[in-house]
Amino acid sequence: MSDYFSLMFTVVILSLVVNIGISLYGIFAKPSLVKKFIALTILSDSINSFAIALGFRRVVGSYPGVAVLADVPRGPEELRQFSAVSVDPLPQALVLTAIVIGLAVYMFLAGLIMLYYRHYGTTRVDVARGGKRG
Amino acid sequence: MRAREVVIAFSIALTVLLLAYVIELGGLGPLAPHTLRDIARAYLEYVYNPWNVTVSSMALEAVTAIVWDYRGLDTYFETSVLFVAIVGVVTLYRGYRELRGLGGAGLSEIVKTSTRVLVPLVLVAGASIAIHGHLTPGGGFQGGSFMAVLMVLLVVVFSLDYAFERGLTSSRLLAIRSAGLVGILLTSVALIVAGAVTGASAYVFQNMAREGSDLTMPSWLLDRPLGGTLFFFNVFESLAVVSGLTLAFIVLALRREEVDQALATGEWYE
Repeated sequence: MSDYFSLMFTVVILSLVVNIGISLYGIFAKPSLVKKFIALTILSDSINSFAIALGFRRVVGSYPGVAVLADVPRGPEELRQFSAVSVDPLPQALVLTAIVIGLAVYMFLAGLIMLYYRHYGTTRVDVARGGKRG
Repeated sequence: MRAREVVIAFSIALTVLLLAYVIELGGLGPLAPHTLRDIARAYLEYVYNPWNVTVSSMALEAVTAIVWDYRGLDTYFETSVLFVAIVGVVTLYRGYRELRGLGGAGLSEIVKTSTRVLVPLVLVAGASIAIHGHLTPGGGFQGGSFMAVLMVLLVVVFSLDYAFERGLTSSRLLAIRSAGLVGILLTSVALIVAGAVTGASAYVFQNMAREGSDLTMPSWLLDRPLGGTLFFFNVFESLAVVSGLTLAFIVLALRREEVDQALATGEWYE
């Protein structure tokens, strides 16, 4: 059970790393700004999933719980039981911040790309390089 | 061209290999450990802790407590970044006009009817995610973006003309957005103002009573925990997010006739 779990977790982490590589390729090599934009969102989502995976933990004989108290605790002992099975909430909070700021950047980039398209008539950076007007 | 592609492919493969090697070496700490980091255990045990109120936020959800209480100033600036980005989008399209009667009847009657059924459901679900942010997974940003999706759906299904007619104009949305941000600001200094009136000391972003300050936000509403500032932050943040994202989408969805003026303004600067 434990070996199988470790193997699958490694597969997930490695596929996230490969995902980061593929999205970097999209950002560098694709000439279209829209495709660069999509690759950028995939990059950010992969890194966010990766950060959440860093907060994951294992609990002996059970699955880890979410970082939410199901009910109002009646004593400090319940809080200790809660922290014994819950995952790390800090990466989730940081990723929430990252998502919000990422969204802000995407909105601005989408506005820029649409203005670029209306100005040059294309979203390809290699065609529009000469300052040709569409 | 060939050499460029080879260089890109080689360097990306190298990046992936090196990242995987660093993770394998444990450079990011142990993956899926059996024990929590100390700071995570502290957050989890202090999130609702009436036996040690000076370090507690009296909310049941640890992520919201971290986002709006323990790291509240971070989140305030983060929501300011979102605000600045929306102002940036509006500034990029400066000089646009909101025209009515450009045609555009929206999608078919079937889609419109099913969207009308969806409206109350999505609004209630989004409001519940935002208002219960201190009790269940979710919060102001999640609930707000949930409702913003509905607004995007309305603009797409019923056309932009309809949205303008029903009052979704950009000046009004920007006003709601600013009101949300002002609400967040007022909540963060509420106890300072209360302290100035009563002559007690208080901190910015103070939630429960802290060391050196006995002032406290309400921790219970009727029969359930309120989390003090967390509830107010979530409500104002959801207002700010839903109006801000809707505004940004409306600006991005403007028709050609409406942005002609904006493009002409841009050409004056060339």
